[in-house]
Order: sequence, then C-alpha cells, then structure tokens
Amino acid sequence: MLARVANNLFWMGRYIERSEHMARYMNVNYFSSLDAPNELSQSRQFVLRSMLFVADEEEIKDIKELDEQKVLYDIGLNPDKQFSILSSIQNAQQNANGARDLISSELYESINTLNRVVKNYNKDVFVKNGLFDFTTMVTTNVASLRTKIRGTLLHDEVYAIIMLGIYIERANQVIRIVNSKYNDALVEEVNSDISVTTSYEWTTLLKCVESYDMMRRYYRKVPTSNTVLDFLILNPACPRSIMNSLNSIHYYIGYLCKDEIPHKDSAAFLIGKLKYDHQYKTIEDVQGDLKECIEKLVEDLSLVGEKMDADYFSLY
Amino acid sequence: MKAPTSLPIFSSYKYDSKFYDEIFTEKNEVREVYETLFNLFSEYSVNDFANLNDKAKDAFFNQGITFQVYGDKETKEKIFPFDLFPRIIGHEEWQKIEKGALQRSKALNLFLWDLYHDQKIIKDKIVPIDLIDSSVNFLKQMKGFNPPGGIYNHVSGTDLIKHSDGNHYVLEDNIRCPSGVSYVVGNRAALKRTLFGVFNHYQSYNVSDYGQNLLEIIESVKPKGVDIPKCVVLTPGVYNSAYYEHSFLAKQMGVELVEGRDLFIDNDFVYMKTIRGLVRVDVIYRRVDDLFIDPLEFNKDSLLGVPGLFKSYMKGKVCLVNAPGTGVADDKAIYTYMPQIIKYYLDEEPILNNVHTYHCSRPDELKYVLENVDKLVVKPVDESGGYGISIGNKLTKEEIEKVKETIKASPRKYIAQPIMSLSTHATYIEDENSFEPRHVDLRTFTLLGKDKDFVLKGGLTRVALKRGNLVVNSSQGGGSKDTWVLKK
Repeated sequence: MLARVANNLFWMGRYIERSEHMARYMNVNYFSSLDAPNELSQSRQFVLRSMLFVADEEEIKDIKELDEQKVLYDIGLNPDKQFSILSSIQNAQQNANGARDLISSELYESINTLNRVVKNYNKDVFVKNGLFDFTTMVTTNVASLRTKIRGTLLHDEVYAIIMLGIYIERANQVIRIVNSKYNDALVEEVNSDISVTTSYEWTTLLKCVESYDMMRRYYRKVPTSNTVLDFLILNPACPRSIMNSLNSIHYYIGYLCKDEIPHKDSAAFLIGKLKYDHQYKTIEDVQGDLKECIEKLVEDLSLVGEKMDADYFSLY
Repeated sequence: MKAPTSLPIFSSYKYDSKFYDEIFTEKNEVREVYETLFNLFSEYSVNDFANLNDKAKDAFFNQGITFQVYGDKETKEKIFPFDLFPRIIGHEEWQKIEKGALQRSKALNLFLWDLYHDQKIIKDKIVPIDLIDSSVNFLKQMKGFNPPGGIYNHVSGTDLIKHSDGNHYVLEDNIRCPSGVSYVVGNRAALKRTLFGVFNHYQSYNVSDYGQNLLEIIESVKPKGVDIPKCVVLTPGVYNSAYYEHSFLAKQMGVELVEGRDLFIDNDFVYMKTIRGLVRVDVIYRRVDDLFIDPLEFNKDSLLGVPGLFKSYMKGKVCLVNAPGTGVADDKAIYTYMPQIIKYYLDEEPILNNVHTYHCSRPDELKYVLENVDKLVVKPVDESGGYGISIGNKLTKEEIEKVKETIKASPRKYIAQPIMSLSTHATYIEDENSFEPRHVDLRTFTLLGKDKDFVLKGGLTRVALKRGNLVVNSSQGGGSKDTWVLKK
C-alpha cells in the first residue's frame, strides 16, 4: 500500500470516529442537562461551555457569555470551524477520496452520502430544533460506516490502518471527554458543594460514551468517580475504555509491524509499552493524580500518532 | 397506436426531418428496437419522470461520480448530466461498429510503428512528410524504439456519429488518454437504480468487464524478464477532473492508483513508495499527458510526472500505456488519411466511413474552404475538447470573415469538413418537463495488447443538451446516456 494512501486511510478512520464522538457529546450533554438534578448542571452556559471545551478548548478562553445558536452551529455545521462535525465528515470524505481505489464502493458511497446530507442540512432547523435529529442521524450513520468497514473490506493492512485511526481517535476522544466531565464535576463542587465523587456528571459521562447501561450491569451501583473511571479507563471489557482501545491498537499495529521485539523508537514499541503500563494499573494509581494521568495519556496518544506518521506515512 | 408524440412526456418533442432521429421514423412511428422501452415509458407521468430524474442525479452524487468546479469563493461539486432515455444499438449495427473500431485501432498502431521506424508510408507517398514534420505531437525520442509487445495505442476511443443518411461516420480517433469509460459503467449503474423495471425486457451486454480486460491488456505488455508484472494507474491527482475515472479503473483492476510523487526512480527502475518500503513497478497506465510525464525529458515545470521515467521506459525497465508519442496519429490532419492508412497496412477497405475533409494546407482545398466557410465545420488540427471549432451555418457575416482571417494566418493548423448532421435522440429536458430531440454521438473503447484485443460492448453516448447544439463534449456542457448493445 502506498504510504500516502495509508495516511489517507488513517485519517479517514480518525475523522469518522471524531464526528461520532462530537455528535454524541452534544446530544447527551444538551439533553441530559434539561432535567439535571441541580441548577448549575441545568444551566445553558455550563452545558455550552462543556461542549466547546471538548470541541476546542481555545474557543472558550476569552468568551464570557456564549450564544446558544452560535455554539450549536459552530460545533455542528460551521464549515469554517475545523472542529465542527461537518468539517470532520468532510475531511473523512476527502481522505476516503484519496484512497478511493482501495476501499469498497459501498463504504465510499456511504461516506459520500453522509457528507452530502450533512453539507445540505438546514442550518436554521438544526440550531432551532434539529439538534436531536441531526446528532442521532450522524451517530447512526457512523455506526453504519463502521459496519461497512468491518463487513466489506479485506481484513488486511488497509483495514488495520483504518482501525488504528479509529481506535487512536477513540482513546483520544474518550480521554478528552473524561477530562471535560471531570472538570465539570470540579466546577460543580466549588459552586454547589456537591462532592466530585458522587457528581451527576459521571452519569452524563457514561452516557456520552454509550456506556451507562453496561456500567450499571457490571457494578450494579450508582456511578461514582471511582467506578466510572475504573470502567472507562481500565476495564478491557468496556468497548469504549482506554484499555480496550489500547488493546485494539496493539492488535492492529501487529498487521504492520511483524517484529517480535519492535525497535525502541517505533510506534509499535510505544503502543506495546502503553498497553502493558495500563494493563497493570489500578484505579487507585489513576485516582492518585487523575489530572496528571489524563494529561500523560493525551500526550502519549499524540506521540503514537507522530510515530505512526514517521514509521509508515512519510517514509520518503 | 396513438401518435407517440401525443404523450405528455413527449409534448414538446419536435421531429426534425433534417436529422436522423434514433427513436422515431419519418412517419412518427417508434423504431422497432425502441418499441418496448417506449411502451414502458408511456406509463410514466411527467411527475414520475421528474422524480426519476432527481433519483438518477442522487445516484451520481452518492457514488461520487463528480468533478469539481473551482469558483472565486467556493468549490462546487458537479455531475456530468445524465439522461434517463438509454440509447439502444441493435446487434447487427453493433457488429459493424465493433469491427470498424478494431480495424482503425490496429491500423493506427501499425501506422505509429512505421512512423517511428522506417516511415515506409511516407516514402510511398501515401501520407505527406510535412504532416509529420510539422506535428508537435511527433516525439523524436521515440524514433527506433520498440515498445513492449509492439503496441502504442493500447487504449483507443473512437468518436462516431450517425448522419442523416443513417450511416455511421468516424469524427475522430483518440489515442492519447481517451477518457469516459468510467461513465459507461457509471451510467449503467445509475440507470439500473432508477429504471430497474426496464432491463428485463432487453438482452443487453454487460459493460463491467472492461477493467478485467484492461488489466489483461496492460499485463500483456510487461517488460522483458518480468514474470508477474506490478501494474499501476498514474493520475495527476484528486483535483483532476477525471480523477473519478482514474480511481475507478485502479479499483476495477485491483491495482494501486499512484501520483507522480508516489513514484521514485533508482538505477532506471521505477519504484513506488509503500508502507513497507520501495516496491518495483513494471507497467504504468498513465493518465498524465506526454509532456508532463517526466520533467527531465519534457516539460521541466511538471510536478505531475516522475524525473527519469522516460529514460526508464527507453531502457525497457517499465512499460507506459499508452506509449508516448501516439498523439501524432490522432491529429485531425492525419484523420483525413485514415482510409488510405487502413488500406496500406491491412489491405482492407475501411469498415467505418470517414467524413470528407478539406486540408487548408493544400492551396486548392484552402480556396474551397475560404469560399464555403458558411457550409463547413472548421477545426484546429491540434485541439481537443471541442475548443476552437466554428460551425459555418451558425456564424454571422463578421464571424465568417474572422474565421477566414484565422485560417489564412496559419492554414496548416486547420481542416474543414461538411457540416455533418448528428442524429437526434430523445433526451429529458428538465426545464420543459418533457423529452426533446438532442444531438448525440458515440465513443467506443478499444484495447490492444500483445496477441489480444477487446472492444467494449457498449460505449459512451454523449448528448448536446442545448437545443440545436452539435458539440457534445462534456467541457461544452454535454451530458451522456446509458448505451445498450443488444445480444441479438
């Protein structure tokens, strides 16, 4: 496979995954805030700020009062914002276009169709009362794209590179969402005297990554910071957990790197190291300094991306 | 039977006896081959058709069979207009077209071999030397070179029209990088989605075997010593208007689609840059024009090509498809010698007609052309895409004078032909919500390999969407139709 095209496939996977997380984060935060148990988490400003934080931290730096329709438009359909769902899907489509000869027509056509639907989505309807429909449409379609990836492509290097893109992005998004909700819980604690441990934000967090029901089934308890973080960071059985993503990344890098002991400076080595580091971590280790742990993970995942680029996408 | 044109969807169909109408006879009766289709269409209302038309458009957008138009502010994605009324070619009519197209491609290949070797046809005074000497498309570098398998024009596109006498005439041969074959397949896919009910009433050939045949052809011209050749398609990139076709062909053949920057030459061998390092490439189906394939040999500013590629080709390390330098033979001035060329090399009579052509380079013919510009189509010999053509009966007096001046300034650059009346075909016109007759032509696709040839049973029917317009090229706002070749 051409190095240039591999890069396209990798980013196609990343953008597909990114658009879904953004869509679901918007949806869950907005709608669960409507009947949240306290005043602060019901507040529009609080919710909008949280959404923008995940989209792009820089965006909320200097703004005191956020305009709801503008925020929704920026994250959903603004073509001038790189973080918008529209931009992510468009980037996914353009990357698919660059690798068009390698992916199935079914997959290409589904991405293309989704891109057209999003591009032509009525902006006014969306910001007034289309948030639920739009975000649901995006998440449903992304799920169908994943099915096309799994069900119509050869499970070879092409597939492995797309999956690497998907899982690296998933780990990235989940850790950013954890970070955002952790911050929200801290803000709540300062303002409303609600303990971080039992904050309502942990429930929202689980719903943002479609893991609420399964977490309840696993722990049979009301979510607390301890159980939620254990579930979303360290539990390999939870499909959205960091551990699960790291296991998948490790598995798929095996398609590209056949060395039993990879070179110490390679992406494969770093991925192996990350995986085993987390496999033997306990929630107590993480909770000791959650902030530092999150920052380290974000940094490490970004380094994985850089090393992938150096090892496979820009050989010459 | 009711007069066909009394149907609402044919309400603005105005039969014009000056042209051969593919659907209706002079007596306003439906031609036999279209009867079943016509009856099926009569069951649709105007609204049904408008809906189907939208559905067909969606099929193209969703499949990404589009091209980009760059504006000042934003880039727009467009589709080549597609018409819902398929063109049907009967079995016998097709036999002649197929044989004729193959005959021309073979003759052109022999002609090219001769031009780049002994030039017997010139020595025998069949084709004048000055036509070759003055052609910008003759590549000196190719003289004496033997392309693998002896093939120059592996892929040929032959443009045909049906004149008012009901006979096919060839308008032009395209043997550089003829495009459009992906639309043949795309049109079929779109029509199947839209009007699936009509297909089981006809036995037409499938068109999806083109990719497989193309792969076999290009594999057949592998360099010496290579067992299983590594083939690739070379594209100028995603911004090229034919990018869809390039990716389509690569996918159909299951080979890599590469850009110039993905290739690398070392010790005259061509390699592509993969995630596992360099992989040798043996055959390149290049969709980049001659002048851009190698900045060391041709256009120095080309970013699309690969430095050293031509040298690698000359040394027999890689095969280029089509061969560089084929443009000299699809020149419009050479076209006029096609009947003689066919006779000279194949000792056969041409199966397909040539349109009579006047060479402005010959003084007596120049005189005739200058006196009859209003009755002729004047074409520059080295332009493609329908540019620079003037159609005599559409010109004002001032324009005629202008054309005369242009010809006089460089007679070698121009040829003239009688105004051929392209046949008309029922075409759905959105603004009228009705079918109207529009002029059509047909491009066929022929493949030549070492001991193998293939003609795609189908073709690209191009249609001029503006009323009365005779130029069908997509760059001039033309659309296309699905084309069925019947099995019997």
